[in-house]
Amino acid sequence: MSEEKRKVVIVPCSGIGKTYGTVSREAAYEVTEEARPDQTEIVPLALLVLGDEAARVTVAASPAITIDGCKLMCAAKMVKESGGTVAKEVAVLEVFRRHKELKPKGIVELNEAGLKLAKVIADEVVAEVDALIAPKEGRHG
Amino acid sequence: MVDLPKKKAGIVACSGEELAEGTVSRLAALKVLERLRPGSTVTICLPLFLAGGEGDRAFARFYPTIAIDGCELRCAARATEKYSARPTASVVVRDIVAERGLPPPQGCRRLDAAGLQAVEATASRVAELVDEVLGKPWSRQGDSAAESAPAEEAEPVEATCSCGSGIPVTKLTIDGKAVELIALRPILEQFRAAGKPPDATTAAELLNTVKIYNEVPEAAEASTSTALLREYARFCADKEGE
Repeated sequence: MSEEKRKVVIVPCSGIGKTYGTVSREAAYEVTEEARPDQTEIVPLALLVLGDEAARVTVAASPAITIDGCKLMCAAKMVKESGGTVAKEVAVLEVFRRHKELKPKGIVELNEAGLKLAKVIADEVVAEVDALIAPKEGRHG
Repeated sequence: MVDLPKKKAGIVACSGEELAEGTVSRLAALKVLERLRPGSTVTICLPLFLAGGEGDRAFARFYPTIAIDGCELRCAARATEKYSARPTASVVVRDIVAERGLPPPQGCRRLDAAGLQAVEATASRVAELVDEVLGKPWSRQGDSAAESAPAEEAEPVEATCSCGSGIPVTKLTIDGKAVELIALRPILEQFRAAGKPPDATTAAELLNTVKIYNEVPEAAEASTSTALLREYARFCADKEGE
């Protein structure tokens, strides 16, 4: 299989009780549905929690980028426990600290600042995706 | 008076990101938590059963739990049973959609009209289950004599995860085995605050209170009662020594 066809796994925490969990989910959809649909795939965290074999095989075979909404870092932990390699751990709170003007609110529906924060995170994830799937010769000039 | 954790219904949604039904499960859970049964429900993020602590894993042992799954894999129900305790009830969005003859939901990120219908139907069913598992008809005023009102909305609140909420777990040795008991510490605090002596006159009441939050097999009641009384006596002695 060529390097160019390798997909990057995106795993958001989708935390249900905090707005930052919704930001993680929105950012993941922005990457996998809009920005890099052909280069990425989303793996549901619930499948990894259950130990679903197909999900474990997927994360074990591809680099993963996790997006976590709180310090417990459930997505990153579960990818590692499932035998995967986390190429980048994104913490929503850490990005928010760099963008204090984007205070997210709402769990069912994000406010405008929350959507913008998710876009900022998605952009960072896309940059990492591009670096991961770039041909080796391209990466090293 | 020490406040014991209030008995509520736990809601665990799969939130599956790759299916529209996963988004339905998430939004239905939030609708129940925030609008339909805000005072009677709590939630926890599913991965915390693995990534969290003992208090998180005690969630479904403490709260009668309703799992909401998007599809037949039933990740929420199965993972809750595997890592915490068997859910008291569970629903699958696809089953509810089929039973009610609704069109299949579309749109993981933004649900279409059919998806929103599925959210309403699922949330309504879960609200009914909340009332059933708590054994009471629901009313806005908390009046147990009121008729059940599954679709009625209360004043909305924002849902919060119970992660790290610290459902207190204590390990006691009973019949030579380590047994986890939920809410024992606040129960002992409550008993001591009420001036109950750590002797045989308190044993039956202590066991009955512990049984509200824990399953105690009938055959183990005597040994559990003995262990509880011993623990209570030690607890009181420690407090007096402080």
